Amino acid sequence: MLSFLSPLFLAGAAAAAVPIVLHLLKREPEARLKFAAVKLIKQAPVEYTDRRRLRELLLLALRVTALVLLALAFARPFLATGAAVESTGVTVIALDTSYSLAAPGRFERAKQLAKDAVAKAPAGDLVGVVTFSDEAEIVAKPGTDRSLATDAIEQASPGFGATRYRTALSAASQHLAGRHGTVVVVTDLQENGWDAGDRASVPEGTTIHVADVGAMPPNLAVTAVRPLPDRVVATVHNGSARARDARVHLRIDNRPAGDAMVSLGANQSADATFAGAPRGAAAAVSVDDADGIQADNVRYAVIGGTGKPSVLLITGSGDANRDAFYVQHALAAGTPADAAFQVMGTGGADLAGWSEDRLTPHAAVLLLSTRGLERRGRELLAAYAQHGGGLFIAAGPEVDGDVVADVLGAGSTLRIATVEGAKPAARALAPADGRHPVFDAFAGNPASLGLVTFQNAARIGGSACQTLARFTTGDTALIECPAGEGRALIMASDLNNRWNDFPLHATFVPFVHEVVRYLASARARSVDYLIGDAPAGVRRAPGIVALTGAAAAAGGTRTIAVNVDPREGDPARLSVDEFESAVTRLKATGGLETRGEAREQEDRQHLWRYALAAMAVLLAAEGVLAARTA
Amino acid sequence: MPWTAHDRPFLDPAVVSRLGTLELKARTVVEGLLSGLHRSPFKGFSVEFAEYRQYIPGDDISTIDWKVYARSDRYYIKKFEEETNLDCHLMLDVSGSMGYGSHHVMSKFEYGACLAASLGYLMNRQRDAVGLTAFDEDIVTMLPASSRPGHLLALLVTLDRLKTAHRTNVSKPLHQLADTLTKRGIVVLISDLLDDPDEIIRGLKHFQFRGIDVIVFHVLDHDEIEFPFERATRFEDLETSEEIMAVPGAVRAHYLKEMGALIERYRRELGASGIDYQLVDTNQPLEIALLSYLSTRSRSL
Repeated sequence: MLSFLSPLFLAGAAAAAVPIVLHLLKREPEARLKFAAVKLIKQAPVEYTDRRRLRELLLLALRVTALVLLALAFARPFLATGAAVESTGVTVIALDTSYSLAAPGRFERAKQLAKDAVAKAPAGDLVGVVTFSDEAEIVAKPGTDRSLATDAIEQASPGFGATRYRTALSAASQHLAGRHGTVVVVTDLQENGWDAGDRASVPEGTTIHVADVGAMPPNLAVTAVRPLPDRVVATVHNGSARARDARVHLRIDNRPAGDAMVSLGANQSADATFAGAPRGAAAAVSVDDADGIQADNVRYAVIGGTGKPSVLLITGSGDANRDAFYVQHALAAGTPADAAFQVMGTGGADLAGWSEDRLTPHAAVLLLSTRGLERRGRELLAAYAQHGGGLFIAAGPEVDGDVVADVLGAGSTLRIATVEGAKPAARALAPADGRHPVFDAFAGNPASLGLVTFQNAARIGGSACQTLARFTTGDTALIECPAGEGRALIMASDLNNRWNDFPLHATFVPFVHEVVRYLASARARSVDYLIGDAPAGVRRAPGIVALTGAAAAAGGTRTIAVNVDPREGDPARLSVDEFESAVTRLKATGGLETRGEAREQEDRQHLWRYALAAMAVLLAAEGVLAARTA
Repeated sequence: MPWTAHDRPFLDPAVVSRLGTLELKARTVVEGLLSGLHRSPFKGFSVEFAEYRQYIPGDDISTIDWKVYARSDRYYIKKFEEETNLDCHLMLDVSGSMGYGSHHVMSKFEYGACLAASLGYLMNRQRDAVGLTAFDEDIVTMLPASSRPGHLLALLVTLDRLKTAHRTNVSKPLHQLADTLTKRGIVVLISDLLDDPDEIIRGLKHFQFRGIDVIVFHVLDHDEIEFPFERATRFEDLETSEEIMAVPGAVRAHYLKEMGALIERYRRELGASGIDYQLVDTNQPLEIALLSYLSTRSRSL
């Protein structure tokens, strides 16, 4: 069916009426003339009026058609096929393939529910299949052949990813493409499938059915492994409503290294300790759980690596717990096993006694005070940054601009000035470039940063520095300056609840985490990854992986441990209503998607070119005919 | 290309057309023409001696005064005041086709009548006998040639009363007039010649055969020469009332070719027969036609 990408241009076809109107307006009464030499006119070759009229009508038709073709070309015509034209509905089956369905018999039930959904899809509906965990994959595009959908379901298998409903609904919505449709989510309704504050959008009019696979069976899971210098500690979680004893096994470099028994209360965790210094490169701890989920029965850890980047806080006294209370707690948020960073504090004066080798292992350095920071310490920080380190300077009341002028190296243009005696004035912070990685956590709601009130601020700047955020007064709030191979972020206020109330806001922790993650990313240091976060190229399966090349950074080989997301083992479930309440139906989404598909089809066909070519041919013919008619 | 008031000393036909009577028109044209000719090139033969002039190679040797040569050993020729005994017959076509006129100037008939009047005035002024024959398919009016006083007035009155009406048959009146003329003279034909060219040329040659000089003023309207029409038009024949629908753009080339061939044929065949042919565009001043007549008359003496 012929459709148009810009149908409004078809109104231009009304211009085709112009030649007709002109023709009618210019039509004059027949001229008569009494003439003497009519005899000579009679001798002229006869051009019959009918023939001439026909030629003139042909000319008119050519001109009108040329104008219509021009309007047609501008309207971007295309032969709509598939989603762009079908008025039939679509049923998309979203099949959960997260590892929580890997317990015996559960995925078979999920596949049966999916096949039932295919069978029950309204007659005439196109049926497609999406498999999802933390990634979604279209395994059967919406089509009329339902056996393809059934085959795709049959061939699906659970993976090692964690459930993410948003991913599933986004992929399904793309294939609804603005038509009325139904999304059947075949899942075990895990609560962790929605991240905090997470919402998904589907086109308006989309019906969502949930096919519940059922609650998880009693499950034991190894949720953490910490190889310590003198022992290996593994955390085991009992995801069932009754207490259980679990047998836990340790393997070092794929060789048995010990067994342990651990008693677990209902829905409780306990540590299993394997005494003795682990000798080897990699540890794997497994728990016997034949009836539960299989993927979380084993967990891997790299021996010798903490798996967490280390962050050094430079404060006045060196007591991070006192001088950098908020930052330290923000970085250490969660249980010791869950904490994303290892935090260490030192005083500015103490830094003079450090060597470069001691500073280099830290993924990021947060300079919160310049008190006692001597020349040696500044040179050390400059070298650290020049060699790829990540440095954050909080230009608060304890930071002297003159002291840190050369902290990024001799050639740095960084300037920090504290306005003495300036009266406190409330101001808020607004990202200048929301796409910068430090604002990743706020991409959904950047305005939340504006709730922070800054009473005082230093003046920061540098000709080579990039402004990442400004205060509402227009002053620079956050800049990134070049620092050799490393990264340096400078904030015009402190992080200790003195010039601002930032640490008291919910945005503080994600901001500090994103800042440190960004600074640390200059050097790839982490050795512990979840499957969804593993470096590119790493197979989506748990295990010990040796990275080489660019992924290993600094050259050589780096060994990492890849594990399943332990949250997936949480048996907490949603109700169907709770699931649907997190889904927003957007009016424009469908139209935009339809338009996107229509644009793709139009791009492939380029019918406007043919319309213009036909117009050119018609105009050429019109020229020839007009010359003969004149 | 039409004449303009700036590039010629002659009267615009449009101006002449606005003059009151035909006599006034004729007098204005002729007096204007003659006053412009400071030294007449039309000195001819006469019984009254005018002057001697030294012989110039090319002069007729019969005009050399041998007595003067005997006395002075130089060649002189005699020059005389003009005097004529020619009969001039003006033949004016009053057929329907002569009624065509465009651009708010004179129709071919009006132009022809004015030309005839001017010629009559001029001839009368030169004491030539002048007659008038008006014709369409037959002779309508005939005024014998005369140089009597008052004859010019009669001629002008006759011209003034003429009207166009019928079809053309030029050859028949030509033959009729040729048969009636017995005395050597000049016949001036004023017509659009939109008739059978063979018959017309034959009729004119009839005069030649009778020893009568003929001057043909082929009067055509500017539209008939240029065919400047643009719009599709229903053309109605002035004589036959026959209608034809034509798009000028489509027939122009052929029409102009046919008209050009007709004019060229008259010019060629009449010229070959010693008949003066003058194509007259009604946009052109009448004086042009008069000069043509004077040139022919001087040759006939």
